[in-house]
Amino acid sequence: MSSTDIVPVAERIRTALRVVIDPELGYNIVDLGLIYDIAVDVAGAARVLMTTTTRGCPATSYLQEGARHSATQVAGVTSVEVVMTHEPPWSPQNMSSAAKQHFGIPEEGAA
Amino acid sequence: MVGVSLSRWTMTYFAAALVALLTAEILMSVGWGYPNAVLAAPSTLVLVHLVTLGWLSLLLCGALFQFVPVLVAKPLRYPQLPLITLLLLVAGISTLLLGFLGLRGTLSARGALFPIASTLLAAGFGLVLWNLGRTLASARPLTLPARFVVVGLLSLVATVALGITFALVLGADVTAPFAVRLFAYGLPLHIIAGLGGWLSLTAMGVSYRLLAMFMLAPESDRRSTRAVLLFGAGALGVSVLGGTVVIGFDHGIAAVLAVAALPGLLAIALYVHDLVHLYRVRKRRVIELNSRMAAAAVASLAIAAVLLIVSVGTESLTQNVAALVFLILFGWLSGLGLAKLYKIIPFLTWLECYGPALGRAPTPRVQDLVAEQRARKWFALYFAAVWIGTGALLDHAAGLFHVAAALQLIATAGITVQLIRARRLIDVPAPVRFPAGSRRPALLFAALDARPTTGD
Repeated sequence: MSSTDIVPVAERIRTALRVVIDPELGYNIVDLGLIYDIAVDVAGAARVLMTTTTRGCPATSYLQEGARHSATQVAGVTSVEVVMTHEPPWSPQNMSSAAKQHFGIPEEGAA
Repeated sequence: MVGVSLSRWTMTYFAAALVALLTAEILMSVGWGYPNAVLAAPSTLVLVHLVTLGWLSLLLCGALFQFVPVLVAKPLRYPQLPLITLLLLVAGISTLLLGFLGLRGTLSARGALFPIASTLLAAGFGLVLWNLGRTLASARPLTLPARFVVVGLLSLVATVALGITFALVLGADVTAPFAVRLFAYGLPLHIIAGLGGWLSLTAMGVSYRLLAMFMLAPESDRRSTRAVLLFGAGALGVSVLGGTVVIGFDHGIAAVLAVAALPGLLAIALYVHDLVHLYRVRKRRVIELNSRMAAAAVASLAIAAVLLIVSVGTESLTQNVAALVFLILFGWLSGLGLAKLYKIIPFLTWLECYGPALGRAPTPRVQDLVAEQRARKWFALYFAAVWIGTGALLDHAAGLFHVAAALQLIATAGITVQLIRARRLIDVPAPVRFPAGSRRPALLFAALDARPTTGD
């Protein structure tokens, strides 16, 4: 794999992660802003850094495994590690504009 | 990062609790117990304990086995214990009710029922305390909502200890003078520890976290919330411990209860104030039915506090105490319980059914498991019936109370059907009901390995 493929692979992972929804909010984890980082090395080993909307969420292990599985399906990915963090804690302001609009959440400063 | 797994027997607790609630409502509708009998009548005791132990305590225990791990982000210390705990509790509650029936003369063989009930309930609640206590102890320093649960559990110890003392005196198994005096004068302490401490403070702690979670409100460690806990625990300590001591010295408890009333009412006022704040600062503008109905439950608590103040002010507490307890039991505690069940059951069912399919196939949302349009009318009828029932008790209108109780029964049955539909995934459109990788949940318990495997 050449280094020029690395960015598109991360983007393809991001797209693939959209099949995973947060069960409570019913919206995909990418647009909710639960994915903090996606890094792929030259060998195709991916590392996804993600969070949950609330600490101790009973869906945590399912979200982690769902994200791992969907990222594994992306062509060019050889392995996936999904790391959970609560630093920084998630805030509704992390959502994409479309998700904010869906939930009726004003943009920061506009409220 | 700790993944919290599903509590296997929580649905079983919920089912047993709902059966107890529906049974109690049937009894109330047909005129069993107060107001057709006096408050201390065996039939009223059956009814009250069916509601407080059978419905509310089983509901709370089932919820706490799932929720305490979420609250402290640690797994339940002994996940294998809740089933045997449930069996002990159900056996203990049933034996206690039979003991009360024995007092009524309905049952001739009353014999050793109270000591047996006491032993079973002490063992059952002992296991609850051991399991939840060890889980909480592993997660120190505790978050604020978890500290509410700790005070609630300590109140449970007091409630059960007093209850067992009463049962043993009632069955003439204990004749020690202090126990007999406690039996004669300590009933308010049993009620305050049970309704105010175990059921209300625990429900308050849980509600702070659940409502913040479901309405996307910031979870802040507010000074007023710490004051709710402080005043609540203070009121309980003064009334229950202080009351027990003064009874020991053969004095009346009126002065102790008067001292405890101020912090108790302050705790309620600050809690209502906190919840109003929580609803105001929520990020989720359109809130779900369960959050709206929780507000009706909190409003019932506020009304109960006002009713208490007015009753004391007009020296009519003795006449109004039944209405007051009814409103707390059914408007506040049961109202909140039913509202939260309407969220928790779909949520846990979603996790069990669709959790394993996440990332493998498109999955429905938790909201797709319920039909709020259909449930709304049952919740509206429920709260209307409870409030009419409270008014009927205030007015000592027995006929109207039975009509209200019948309406309450119909509403609860309607809500129960909605809960079963959610658990059965009946409201999820058939084509998307069972995507690849999903798991069909059983009605009354969760699958044993209700957490994903790490393989593909």
